[in-house]
Amino acid sequence: MIRQIAFLLLLTPLLAVAEPKSPFNHPYAAAEPSPSPLEKPGCNETQDSRVVAERSILRVNSTNQAYDFFQPWLKKNPVSRRGVGVLVQGGCVLVTAELVMNSNFVELEKATTAEKSSATVERVDYDCNLALLRPNDPGFLEGMKPLTLEKSLRVGNEATVLQLEPNGEIAETIGQITTISVGPYPLENIGLLVYRLRVPLQQRDGSFMLPAVSDGHLVGLLMRFDARSQSADLISTPVIRHFLDSPAKARFPRMGLSFSSLRDPQFRRFIGLKEPGGVYVNEVSPHGSAAEAGIKKGDVILAVDGKAIDQDGNYDDPNFGRVLFSHLTNTVATPGSEVTFTIFRKGKLIKIPAHMSVPDRAHVVSDAQLADHPPDYVVLGGFVFLELSRPYLQEWGNDWVNNAPKRLVYYDAFQNELPEDRGKIVVLGRVLPVPETLGYEPLQNLVVTQVNGKPVRSLVDLAEAAKKPVKGFHKIEFEEDPKTVFLDAASVEANQKALVEQYSLPALQRLKGKKSP
Amino acid sequence: MLRVSLFLFCVFLSLGLEAAEVAESLVRIEATFQEPNYKAPWSPGEVSSGVGAGFIVQGDRILTNAHVVSNASFLTVNKEGDPKPYPAKVLYVAHDCDLALLSVDKAEFFNGTTALELGDIPAIESLVSVYGYPIGGKRLSVTRGIVSRIDFQTYSHSGMDSHLTIQIDAAINPGNSGGPVMQKGKVVGVAFQGYSGDVAQNVGYMIPTPVVKRFFRDVEDGKYDRYVDLALTFDNLFNPAARKALGLPNDDVGVQVGTVYGGGPSDGIIKSGDVLMGIDGLRIASDGTIKLDGESVPLTEVVERKFKGESASLDILREGSSLQVKVPLSAPWPFALQSKAYDEKPQFIVFGGLVFQPVDQNFMDAYKPGNLRLDYLFDFFVEDGIYRERPQLVVLSNILADAVNAYAKDFLFAVVDEINGQKIRRISDVASAFAKTSDYYVIQMLGIGRPLVLERKAVEEARSRILQRYGVTSEQYIKK
Repeated sequence: MIRQIAFLLLLTPLLAVAEPKSPFNHPYAAAEPSPSPLEKPGCNETQDSRVVAERSILRVNSTNQAYDFFQPWLKKNPVSRRGVGVLVQGGCVLVTAELVMNSNFVELEKATTAEKSSATVERVDYDCNLALLRPNDPGFLEGMKPLTLEKSLRVGNEATVLQLEPNGEIAETIGQITTISVGPYPLENIGLLVYRLRVPLQQRDGSFMLPAVSDGHLVGLLMRFDARSQSADLISTPVIRHFLDSPAKARFPRMGLSFSSLRDPQFRRFIGLKEPGGVYVNEVSPHGSAAEAGIKKGDVILAVDGKAIDQDGNYDDPNFGRVLFSHLTNTVATPGSEVTFTIFRKGKLIKIPAHMSVPDRAHVVSDAQLADHPPDYVVLGGFVFLELSRPYLQEWGNDWVNNAPKRLVYYDAFQNELPEDRGKIVVLGRVLPVPETLGYEPLQNLVVTQVNGKPVRSLVDLAEAAKKPVKGFHKIEFEEDPKTVFLDAASVEANQKALVEQYSLPALQRLKGKKSP
Repeated sequence: MLRVSLFLFCVFLSLGLEAAEVAESLVRIEATFQEPNYKAPWSPGEVSSGVGAGFIVQGDRILTNAHVVSNASFLTVNKEGDPKPYPAKVLYVAHDCDLALLSVDKAEFFNGTTALELGDIPAIESLVSVYGYPIGGKRLSVTRGIVSRIDFQTYSHSGMDSHLTIQIDAAINPGNSGGPVMQKGKVVGVAFQGYSGDVAQNVGYMIPTPVVKRFFRDVEDGKYDRYVDLALTFDNLFNPAARKALGLPNDDVGVQVGTVYGGGPSDGIIKSGDVLMGIDGLRIASDGTIKLDGESVPLTEVVERKFKGESASLDILREGSSLQVKVPLSAPWPFALQSKAYDEKPQFIVFGGLVFQPVDQNFMDAYKPGNLRLDYLFDFFVEDGIYRERPQLVVLSNILADAVNAYAKDFLFAVVDEINGQKIRRISDVASAFAKTSDYYVIQMLGIGRPLVLERKAVEEARSRILQRYGVTSEQYIKK
């Protein structure tokens, strides 16, 4: 132990000299061996990308603070994240949305001069995990050059991942694209095109949110890195291009259907399908693009925009090889554009044009993410109510599927199967004990069905119903035991101030992100 | 969740005066088990053996724990000092209260033995002695301790049932199971479960005599009926507003009914929201307790002491008016799904290499499917009334890989909804659906749009091939 401490003391002054400007640094960063030969193989290419990089990449520091869904009026401790952003056309810096999710303060920093400017998140899309930042100092980016997206990668191509050393030096690591496929993106339930890169990255500057370039063009942004298999998942060029080209609000359209493969020859014979390939439509979600176009459960999708679909749902892309057809419908297509489906239905081939649309979040029962939005809540006489969402369940940690209250997990998992008018799932999250809640202290995570005789399908419903107590009582009904509880309405009203003071509540409710006293 | 470990026991020798007397009644039970294999339900299961304790009670019978003799295919008993093992048989077994009565064919076994007498509930802090054969040696071990607590506890043998339990601080270790706990020459309990040392120290549990006596009375008619239940939940009524809203005075009487389980004995008699004021003339306090024999006990104790066919009289308050109702008591079956089952062969059907099984606790313990939809249907089987539409959840539990089922993997652990349009409510429905000749067998699963389809020809072709390759000795077992 003693020897270790002595070593650290010895090291500290050295570090201070080596990198006076980076408070977030790993203390051993300076002790790391110099880059291995693997990282600097080709001289010419390296030189080029260095020049490009110096003029086009910036360090991005973001202080993020998420809401505490157990106490929705509070924010959690701030967390500092850093990554590397890329200057793109239009004077904005492109980063992953994850980097600036729930950000309080974003700062751009020039790699070599350490010059800083605060920045504003101009646009963020959690579907594709991308955000655009604009420096608050208008002259900050002068002299820098935006990167373009003119290159499309294929399997086997090389790409260079750019990292910044604490001293501003650019570290380049070359990797090879091993797979291009439609895969899950981390923040929303959507699959978009992903480049998988095999790349021996080292931890530098505490972040793997990094750009990848090729021949001086931006080709992707790193969003995941698995150190064990040395494989990185990149937000792919077409996804970035779709994000940059879309007008501010429009996002990635979705089909709104689930399908399964048609590999089983017995099943193919059963449905009388003689054409090759095709996938079977399992479910069509109401309100989605597919439902609006009249695609039905049991249909077989044989082609999309004339491109044949194989038995697993892949089409042959001239650039990317065999990829899932959803790339055509959610990335190649834009909201409002038309996609034509060739469908096999009851022995006949039909063509169905579909207008691709972005799903309306109003229909979502349990939101997958609520980044940047203060969660709504209502406190009534010590009862804390909120709407079920994935972030609420995620408060139970990484293994929330097993640890969170089961009924809530099932509501989230099978939300698409609920009756269409089910609305939001309003939950009594916890009880802040006050005299009115005597005997109810242990209640938690109960699903509310009615308040004062009125059905509750949203927090707004609940807040409205709470305005009209029945015979002097608030009667609250749950799906689980105890099915019914009562609060003395007059007493709740009279003791509001005491409740607010006792638990330091900023407000008794926040609806649609707005506080009211 | 604390892990309760069950104890099984060992050998013996007389110690001291009292021990010598008890020795005349103590029995060592050796059991050969054949635990059913839920993952290969056609196989008779692996053979293992275990040893437990028991003691002789009136009528030349041996009392022990149910878990000592569960799944036993062969039993022998030994008296102390007599090396000869005698084959024994299970007369009655009560898995819901972990008790069993054994008989010995040869009457000579009982020569020179003394039947132990049952006493009452010992007082808190009074001394008791525990007899058994716990680990740490081969001979009889006697440990002493005091009665620490009298309370309701879950009986881990079934995992679902809670009954009156007495906690003692005498060292009880694996090997004490089925042994008597004595006080003043009488049995005051049967040692049966405890916590492993890394969870709690000096915490052992015994089955008290009211539970034992109930078991004896239940089997008087020649068969064991399960415990009966009201099949409802209730919640405290401390809250002044709730009391006022329900029209109750501030006298700490009454509990509010939460859920009344459909198909249970209270269904149609008691409603959710009713206030239970009294049971069999005893006042129910607002925390759900009643005064019985001078002790404050949960109101369910009244029901615990009753038998199938008897009824409980309840004073209830419904929307402000008082009424008295009679609930004829029975054992609601849907709960059995979530109890561990013993002495039962797993039911199954093999068709086209697909194995279908009804789901119960044993199935879930064996497979640990980790399938969210199945978990939901199983966990909320009773609460959400899933049993009403589906008395059994039949799942595709296993695939004996073959060309005929090469693409069935996506359907593993899915619950079968329909086969060729026929609703599947129990495993026997699967058998009858497959028995009807059809070119295609269309198996529709819950929550999966696409059905699983098998061609009759392919199934027939594969049949003997699959049975032979996987050593499947029987294609189905369905309990009558």
